[in-house]
Amino acid sequence: MAEHAVIDVHGRKVNIRRMGQGAPLLFLHGALGIADQEPGLEDLARHFEVIAPDHPGFGASEASGDIDDVADLAIFYLDMLDHLKLDAVHVAGQCIGGWIALEMAIYASHRFKTLSLVNSAGLRVKDQPRGDMFLCSEADLIKLLFKGEAGDAWMKGWRASPAHEDIYERNRGAAAKYTWSPRLCNPKLDRWLHRVTAPTHIVWGRDNHVIPLAYADALKALIPGATSAVIEDCAHMAHIEQPAAFAHEITHFIRRATP
Amino acid sequence: MKVFTFHLMPYADLDMTFMDKHRAAWVVLPNTYYDPKKGHELYNRYLDELELAAELGFDGISVNEHHQNAYGLMPSPVVTAAALARRTKTAKIAILGNAFGLREHPLNIAEEHSMIDNITGGRLITGMVRGIGAEYFSTGNNPAFSHARFQEAHDLVVQAWTRPGPFSFEGKFYHFEYVNMWPRPFQQPHPPIWTPSTGSAETIEWAAHPSRRYTYLQAYSPTQSVARFLNYYRQCARDMYGYTASSEQIGWSTPVYISDTDEKARAEAKPHIEILFNKLLRLPFEMLFPPGYLSQKSLANMRSHKRSVSGQEHTIDSLIDQGIIVCGSPETVRRQFTDAHRLLGFQNLLCLMQFGTLPRDLTERNIRLFASEVLPALQGLTDREYMGMEMRAAE
Repeated sequence: MAEHAVIDVHGRKVNIRRMGQGAPLLFLHGALGIADQEPGLEDLARHFEVIAPDHPGFGASEASGDIDDVADLAIFYLDMLDHLKLDAVHVAGQCIGGWIALEMAIYASHRFKTLSLVNSAGLRVKDQPRGDMFLCSEADLIKLLFKGEAGDAWMKGWRASPAHEDIYERNRGAAAKYTWSPRLCNPKLDRWLHRVTAPTHIVWGRDNHVIPLAYADALKALIPGATSAVIEDCAHMAHIEQPAAFAHEITHFIRRATP
Repeated sequence: MKVFTFHLMPYADLDMTFMDKHRAAWVVLPNTYYDPKKGHELYNRYLDELELAAELGFDGISVNEHHQNAYGLMPSPVVTAAALARRTKTAKIAILGNAFGLREHPLNIAEEHSMIDNITGGRLITGMVRGIGAEYFSTGNNPAFSHARFQEAHDLVVQAWTRPGPFSFEGKFYHFEYVNMWPRPFQQPHPPIWTPSTGSAETIEWAAHPSRRYTYLQAYSPTQSVARFLNYYRQCARDMYGYTASSEQIGWSTPVYISDTDEKARAEAKPHIEILFNKLLRLPFEMLFPPGYLSQKSLANMRSHKRSVSGQEHTIDSLIDQGIIVCGSPETVRRQFTDAHRLLGFQNLLCLMQFGTLPRDLTERNIRLFASEVLPALQGLTDREYMGMEMRAAE
């Protein structure tokens, strides 16, 4: 079970889950937030102390009026690492969580022991259109995010109570705030990715139609020494749809990368 | 009462089977459905209809802004307002509204409004709107900042119209070293500002604020909602701000159709009004309310009737029964507006005299019948005929 605590980082209150024991691993969630059932994180928690915050404006974290974009979020999380007295940590980010991690690493790669990017947003690749998670009915969103059947149960979880629905809508609003335009990317990111010097592993769902597989190749080409892996029968929500493969890729990469 | 007519300028020649293939007449409907030759005819016909209304004694004529859709062909209402400026002599020209906050540079629209105000010698009314949710897809603006950006654009424009320039403006969204508007508006301190909405508590509270006292227009709503929101404006003024709102500060906007008898009016309007509501105005929930567009409070209110908003099929009977449109003989229409005014006291009425596919001949007759049979009676209505909020509550 995850333990929740709200911490105050320079006046900004953020909700953090802690699960498991081991080396600290900061998990930065994607545009849809963190659900009650997160099998991928539970698997990771068998090997690490998973620290999973709700981004400001998501879940149970306060919306800070002065945190407007992903660059702000990246600086905020560097602040949070200082606050938690974590000099260097393993970081895994899915979707916009990967984007936040990349912006952090461009400024402060030395704060990363390793970086795992799972279906990461952030990059723009010409002529490789990204899917639109916003102009999308609930049914179409499930089809876009998942290849198999896992999406129905995931969405049902968000419909479990009015409180869950509130958080779901809150997450959608916060995702729009951070990613609306340019949609899901920082067009300048590619010119600075050589600064990501931490060991980096790129994990992608074969059937990701939000951010297609071509983005994994582009990231690999831009991040020095990065490795990559593809998960089969998997779309954008790898941590929900293929939790074992998701945790396996991250765990084994970290073992390989750290003595 | 001041009575305006307004136009949406729909693309009436649209192939209405579009809904078999596309989710909406907005954002995603390919523009290959648009034929510029037909568009040319429609624009000129619609401008003629507005000019006719001005000639026949309406107090004003009105245009609005929507993007990338077949529902209304006015991405820039300034263009239509400018076309009308020199073709009319006394009627007010109301731009209801322009979405200043959707622009990178709201001062450009403010300059254009100022020009029209100068050309017409002060006949301009400036409407300010956030734009509907679909606009945030078609312009790329972030819906999560829509309220804040709307308000900052408003502040910038009002300062540009009223403060001696040059001055600098440093906001969250807008940054200008030199704000120095030439020409200044003709009307002092600036053209009247109106805020049309389908009912947002935040917008009403903002418009009613004593530093603004902007005219609030309730659009496309059942009678009950019109009553609730117009009274909410008066309550806000009284309870929140401690002043009595004047009846000039509120207005109602609704489609209107008149023919010789109630039955005839219903039959003639039916196909055209049903196309407006069931095809042109049918937007999926996610297009109408992108994430972040509604405040958390409004969203909670909305969720309860979420399914009905997106799924409701209208008929002319349901539209008339709910009071969303006013349709009938001259006698019926006159009585309905007079009764509504007695209860709500609004001193502004905006009538949509062309809707959906309503053709030229029926539109023109609608305007003429309204002007001769209904308009004089409404223009004579004052606060003396309004029973007041307290009387109404006591009833």
